[in-house]
Amino acid sequence: MTREEVQIQLTEIFRKVFKKPDLVLSDELTAKDVKGWDSLNHINLIVATEKSFKIKFTTKEIQGLPNVGKLIDVIHAKITSIAQK
Amino acid sequence: MLEYELDKLDYFELFSLREEVEASKKPKSKILLLADCSTQQLAIILRVLFQLNHYEVDIKEAGFDSIELEVFDHSSELYSYKPDFIIIFMTVQRLRDRFYNSTSSKSNQLENEKEKIKQIWETLSERLDSKIVQSNFSLPVENLFGTFETKTTESFINYVRQLNHFIISESSNRDNLTILDIDKLSGYVGRKNYLDETLWYHSKTPCALDFIPYVSQLIIDSIISHKVRSVKCVVLDLDNTLWGGVIGDDGVDGIALGHLGDGEAFVDFQHFILELKKRGIILAVCSKNEESNAKIPFLEHPEMVLKLDDIAIFVANWDNKADNIKVIKESLNIGYDSIVFLDDNPYERNLVRKFLPDVIVPELPEDPALYVRHISELNLFETSSYTDEDKTRSEMYKVEFERQKLQKKYSNLEDYLVSLEMKITLKKFDEFNLPRIAQLIQRSNQFNLTTKRYGEVECKALLEENGTFPLYCKLKDKYGDYGLISVVVLKKIDSSLFIDEWIMSCRVLSRGVEQFIMNHVFDIAKDLNIESVLGLYSPTSKNAMVKDFFLKFGFVEKNVFENKDVEYIISTKEYIKKLVYLNEED
Repeated sequence: MTREEVQIQLTEIFRKVFKKPDLVLSDELTAKDVKGWDSLNHINLIVATEKSFKIKFTTKEIQGLPNVGKLIDVIHAKITSIAQK
Repeated sequence: MLEYELDKLDYFELFSLREEVEASKKPKSKILLLADCSTQQLAIILRVLFQLNHYEVDIKEAGFDSIELEVFDHSSELYSYKPDFIIIFMTVQRLRDRFYNSTSSKSNQLENEKEKIKQIWETLSERLDSKIVQSNFSLPVENLFGTFETKTTESFINYVRQLNHFIISESSNRDNLTILDIDKLSGYVGRKNYLDETLWYHSKTPCALDFIPYVSQLIIDSIISHKVRSVKCVVLDLDNTLWGGVIGDDGVDGIALGHLGDGEAFVDFQHFILELKKRGIILAVCSKNEESNAKIPFLEHPEMVLKLDDIAIFVANWDNKADNIKVIKESLNIGYDSIVFLDDNPYERNLVRKFLPDVIVPELPEDPALYVRHISELNLFETSSYTDEDKTRSEMYKVEFERQKLQKKYSNLEDYLVSLEMKITLKKFDEFNLPRIAQLIQRSNQFNLTTKRYGEVECKALLEENGTFPLYCKLKDKYGDYGLISVVVLKKIDSSLFIDEWIMSCRVLSRGVEQFIMNHVFDIAKDLNIESVLGLYSPTSKNAMVKDFFLKFGFVEKNVFENKDVEYIISTKEYIKKLVYLNEED
């Protein structure tokens, strides 16, 4: 899966979690740019992403991701490493 | 009737409904959540599920990790709020913290935990009339001692086990206390799924999000069981529900029941049903069968767990099941919403749902091996007490079923039949279908007018006979395909058309199939300019259900033979075409 494909799939998850059907993801996007991205929805977002990509985030990743670009990188790295195994 | 399926609760779906939750103006219950973990998600899902249950509540969350603070401070919000229910949700994660941090011995620490919990209950009971719903603990994932773990209180898992045991044994002495059995839930779904360490460290979320709805449902069950009337009666189908196969066709030796194959699953299912009876649920039977046939397994089958004595009302006839359940309901004088109807046949389930929307009609899995699990997951038999009266209720309700009560019919059965979108095919025998045709002829005993057991070779010969019309019929509706369900053999004899054999599967009775076929018989007769149609009924020990078959279509008796066969006749002109709700397909 390419980074772009990860972004497309992740966009769908964001749109569903935040109920914003036209939300567009950019690498620079952060929690304060998206209405409703509170601590509760953050957990929902993380768990929905884990389910959709069949991966698990570490505690550190859940707490430490600065923006969407980094989130995409982490997902991409995880599924690439799973694919290589 | 619930608007959601208890075995398919989805966290994200429920969470997305949270904005639709309306604040309650007249709550039936005030609920306080006291927890040592984060309750954000739990409170949201609880509100959504209560709304879906049409049960108005007001839910308050106490401060984060403040159980003792709220309980032991007499000026706390808890005491001014005066909740009807106090949910005390304690997690194994917090218990673990205290277990590791304690400086006293593990057995002393265990006594401290017990003492603290007891103190909480007693303080609450002294000052409030609230019902207390106390959680127990999921067993932990720690494995320190291996096999030896069960032998020592020094192991955390054994420590949790003992505390769980304490909570459960104490609850039986306290009327205002019910248990939120988290141990049972986490064990059922699997502790390695239930516990989510990452979420715990991140936000003190007590379990994986997937199971928040199940914890919520446990809480709802424990509250609603105090407040609403629960299930009083289970209405059971017989064929393929209590045993495998069809008693009328397979006979008492042919049904699947006992220690072979899925026969064993039916035995265990009957044990489960019998336990329900012992626990105070009334059992009734509602079956499409001849009553005498339907009772044979109860009387003669050695593996039958349920006996006729266990059944308060036994209804076996060919009327629609909604009518029969109405009779059962009126005989018992209970509400429709306290009846659970168990039937393997989707047609019957949907019919009952349609006409009696308050009756609880769960789906049944295709495999009888899964009946008990599925019904248990639905938690239909919630109760907050178990009294001596419960144990004897079934005897009290035992009433003789009166056939005349069956007159109360639903007038709009037609609408239901139309809504089924039934498609029927009627065709001359063909090579491809011969095996199934011969099988149906061999197997059918009940709807079988002359019981001529044509084999495959004879069926093929019928095809080539001049003036013979060997026909088969297939049926499907929007719920499924019933396959080949009827066989009719017509023979032109002189100036008459003779119905030589007519067989139908009882599963499709009272849907207009026989009317459809009979109309067709007369179409053929008219095409051939035939003056009259002749029918024959040869009685056997099993086909009493079609005794008056021809009379219902306007035929009159012509001859009664020495062997008790009855011949019927009607002139082609006199036949009145029957109204049907089936669409013919090629």
